[in-house]
Amino acid sequence: MAQQGGTNRVPEAIEIQLKKGALELCVLALLHQCDNYAYEIASRLADAIGMGEGTIYPLMRRLQSDGLVETYLVESPAGPPRKYYRLSEAGKKSFNSQSAAWKSFSGAVNDILGGAQ
Amino acid sequence: MTRQAFMARLREGLRGLPPQTVADIVADYEAHFVDGEAAGRTEAEVAAALGDPDRLAREIRAESTVNRWREERSPSSAAAAVFAVLGLGAIDILILLPILMGVASAIIGLFVAAIVCFFAGAFVFAAGPFMDPPGGPATALLGGLGVMAGSTSAGAVLTIVSIGLMNALVWYGRLHYRLLKPALEPQA
Repeated sequence: MAQQGGTNRVPEAIEIQLKKGALELCVLALLHQCDNYAYEIASRLADAIGMGEGTIYPLMRRLQSDGLVETYLVESPAGPPRKYYRLSEAGKKSFNSQSAAWKSFSGAVNDILGGAQ
Repeated sequence: MTRQAFMARLREGLRGLPPQTVADIVADYEAHFVDGEAAGRTEAEVAAALGDPDRLAREIRAESTVNRWREERSPSSAAAAVFAVLGLGAIDILILLPILMGVASAIIGLFVAAIVCFFAGAFVFAAGPFMDPPGGPATALLGGLGVMAGSTSAGAVLTIVSIGLMNALVWYGRLHYRLLKPALEPQA
């Protein structure tokens, strides 16, 4: 089973948590700019954050069941209608509070990192 | 991997979830292939970028059983959530399983003890007054009531403790969740 090296176990968990938190914020940020469909979100974030594109779908499902995003269908030239996502009111609120929290936290960490060099 | 192989493995991994949920998830990934090909990528490239379908299915399944546990606190949803979280490979099953079984059997034992005490109290309450107990019939009535009340509250506390333990397990599983591990990494 998942027998991991003792030394990289904790940093790995932290990295996963960091990415998980950041990914949700990034998705909310993209949708705050404009409504979008999952393929576009996945391909923009996959390169930027270094995640499998497939993981965007479990996240979108969770955001939807938490009521942060809503979906609607739009006719697509490529084939069947596309499922677009947009932020709900709760999603906008969540984005504002999360991005404020992120900015103050990352600002504080950057200050300390800068001071350490 | 071809689109067909990817979808077949995903479906296989999702088996047992509600059909509507599976249909929604499968439709999402099908659409991803359509969009990917429209963007000029081959099936194999799209499948590689999506990641391992078995792992994706395990993660979706874990998320959905944990949601079910949140909605209905029943022993069967708890068991399903425990196995799904274990299935993520986030927790070392060889270490955890003996502990988990110990804790689970201790909790079940305590539940049984609480139920037995309740019936013993009921017996003292119902039959005690006719058996000429020391201190008179009133003592037997009150004593029986007391034992029943005590075992009921012990049962309630046990329920709260086991819900708390489940939530701790889910929390721990999520902490080590590998949802965002690069998808092409070899299986652990």
